[in-house]
Amino acid sequence: MASAAERSGSDRELLLRAQAGDGEAFRVIFDREAPGVRRFLGDLLRDHAAADEATQETFVRAHLRLTTLKQPEKLQGWLFGIARMVFLEQLRRKRRDGPMPEDAEPMHVDRAPTPEAALLSGEADQVLDAALAALSEERRAALLMRLDHGLAYGEIAAAMGWTLQKVKNEIHRARLQLRERLAWYLEGAA
Amino acid sequence: MTGHPSPEELEALSRGEALAEVEAHVAGCAACTRELAWLEAERALISRRPQPEVAHLWAGVAKRLEQPGQRPSADRGGRLRPHWARRLAVGAAAAASAAAVLLLTMPPKGGPNFSAPTESVAETDFDGPDAKTLAALDRAERDYRRAATVLETEYAAARNKLDPKLAKQWDESLAKARAQLGASRAVAAEDVNARMRVLDGYAGYVRSLRNVMEAEEANP
Repeated sequence: MASAAERSGSDRELLLRAQAGDGEAFRVIFDREAPGVRRFLGDLLRDHAAADEATQETFVRAHLRLTTLKQPEKLQGWLFGIARMVFLEQLRRKRRDGPMPEDAEPMHVDRAPTPEAALLSGEADQVLDAALAALSEERRAALLMRLDHGLAYGEIAAAMGWTLQKVKNEIHRARLQLRERLAWYLEGAA
Repeated sequence: MTGHPSPEELEALSRGEALAEVEAHVAGCAACTRELAWLEAERALISRRPQPEVAHLWAGVAKRLEQPGQRPSADRGGRLRPHWARRLAVGAAAAASAAAVLLLTMPPKGGPNFSAPTESVAETDFDGPDAKTLAALDRAERDYRRAATVLETEYAAARNKLDPKLAKQWDESLAKARAQLGASRAVAAEDVNARMRVLDGYAGYVRSLRNVMEAEEANP
């Protein structure tokens, strides 16, 4: 397995090649990053066709702006920032058709789940999906960048255009909201 | 440890990082044990979701990238002036010269003669180029790429001012040069002679781009 330093060197090389117009290098970037971007957009848009289209739009825009990215280690966060913009444009179009639900103030859940309970059945996926759907799109985006894609708080701040403190607050609230929804299932299953 | 660990530290612990002090605190703290259990449950739920299939999406991306105006450009950094590009190209040429000088001054190691490669590397007991040589080649190639990127940005910005027929010809020759460079680089691996030929290719490519830009400047 490649070390972090080797991976970082290879990422830099790959990005430089793509920036120099090497289509094959950009294809490698696509193959490596598109699954995460597509999952992120799928979670935000909750529509397969729209998420596919938004993923393609994200990579077309990324290609056009490739030379503006100077730090290869920030590639993932940078792509998520573009994906978020693409998503917001779709969201604005949707909002013209009707208001979107606001985030509720979350309550603290004082009980802990058992790890086994989280993996008991396929039902868990549906419960998680419903719990994520209950979050506002912005809060959901920040939480998933952290929880699902492992972005650092600073990278999320850059992608969302938020302060670091706001990122931490929103992710904390998102987690509490998520747990409120998950608690009944995880405890019931335990 | 005084006080509770930060959320980041608990997250790190839930990812399996070895944090003895945090772990010791969690063992004796009900609130942190609960938080850790939640973090682990969230991780378990999230990680069991399947990755989406994306291979079918590439064709649509590739098709759109073929359309005019889809070349990478420095659209947020402002338009770079040609003298910067020339300076970068000069820097790249200097780096390439440095790589060439390094190769010429390398002490003989019983390996092939770089100036007269009459036998293949596989036929000798040559144990491969040293790290310093490869680093110099990497640096030179990187500088050429940087110069090429800047000049390509300039070219993309100036392309609309060119005669459409001429622009098309330039597009085709530049695309061909890029494809050849990519192919040569892919097979060159750590073969020093092949890497030097790739650098020559880059030099030619950068010169071509400069010629276009200078022609554009002379006939705005």
